[in-house]
Amino acid sequence: MLNFCEWLEHTALISTIAGTGWMYATFSVAHYFSLFVLVGTIVFIDLRVLGVAARSQRIATVAEQLFPWTWTALGLALFSGFVMFATDAGDYYPDRIFRIKMTVILLALVFAILVRRNISKWDQAPSTSAGAKMVALVSLLLWVGAILAGVEIAAISGLG
Amino acid sequence: MHDFLVSFGKWLEATPWGTFTRTTLWGYPFVQLTHFSGLSLWLGTNIAVDLRLLGVGRKRETAMQLSDSLFAWNWAGFAIAVLGGFPLFSANATTYLANPAFQLKLGILVPLALIWHIVVQRKTREWGKTETTPSIAKLAGLFEFVLWICVVTAAVEIPNH
Repeated sequence: MLNFCEWLEHTALISTIAGTGWMYATFSVAHYFSLFVLVGTIVFIDLRVLGVAARSQRIATVAEQLFPWTWTALGLALFSGFVMFATDAGDYYPDRIFRIKMTVILLALVFAILVRRNISKWDQAPSTSAGAKMVALVSLLLWVGAILAGVEIAAISGLG
Repeated sequence: MHDFLVSFGKWLEATPWGTFTRTTLWGYPFVQLTHFSGLSLWLGTNIAVDLRLLGVGRKRETAMQLSDSLFAWNWAGFAIAVLGGFPLFSANATTYLANPAFQLKLGILVPLALIWHIVVQRKTREWGKTETTPSIAKLAGLFEFVLWICVVTAAVEIPNH
């Protein structure tokens, strides 16, 4: 796997992106911007399930309005994130904090899918169950954790 | 003005929160986390309304309904972003003040985007009543969308200058 990362990092395309200021900056802007939209929309849905946001709107209405933007932003964040990873893959791959970040994101995505799948059930319930609120809270905390792991890659490992 | 800004920057760097952010192991990432979490809420909810005004995405709610339901957390997100951004700036204030990308970001782009956001948010109560929005609303939403991309671009460029 490390060999693959080293190969990826030194492909002509990735080397060009890494070595061209405006290209790397474009992927950084895309990554930050899409992650803000991704985290902002999903956290808002979590807050609605928790009963502390948009109480006048039904859970399903809020979720159906916001989720398509969440998935689009997720796609863009994963793509731009992969390119940023590729420019220094040999160093990111073995990094402990980077691996923690990927694990947290994977868990957050599992919870995002869990929220999405249960929306209509939660929407029809007369009151939101403690279990539903727990899922939403964990989802919210996992995204905050993903951001923390992201900033720690720079702070502890000095990458990025 | 220049002398005033330099001494203001030096004072900020010496404040307890400036020193905390700059010198402790956990201070800087913790403050960054606060800034980015606030930004996610703030920009996520801003961009949602801009896209709805543009007519991009699902039309489960009108722009007005969406904007109203996001309103409280939209501004909570802004407050959290400032809460994190202020100590982040204070930690290395003199360096930031001399940085052209930072000057552009905080001196021009953020005030402009913020004022535009407030105007759009107020106008959405009028533009966003119907399922399809008028052309002026689409233009206003697009402009806000582009302004925030400019803000993020200036922020990304700060370390390169």
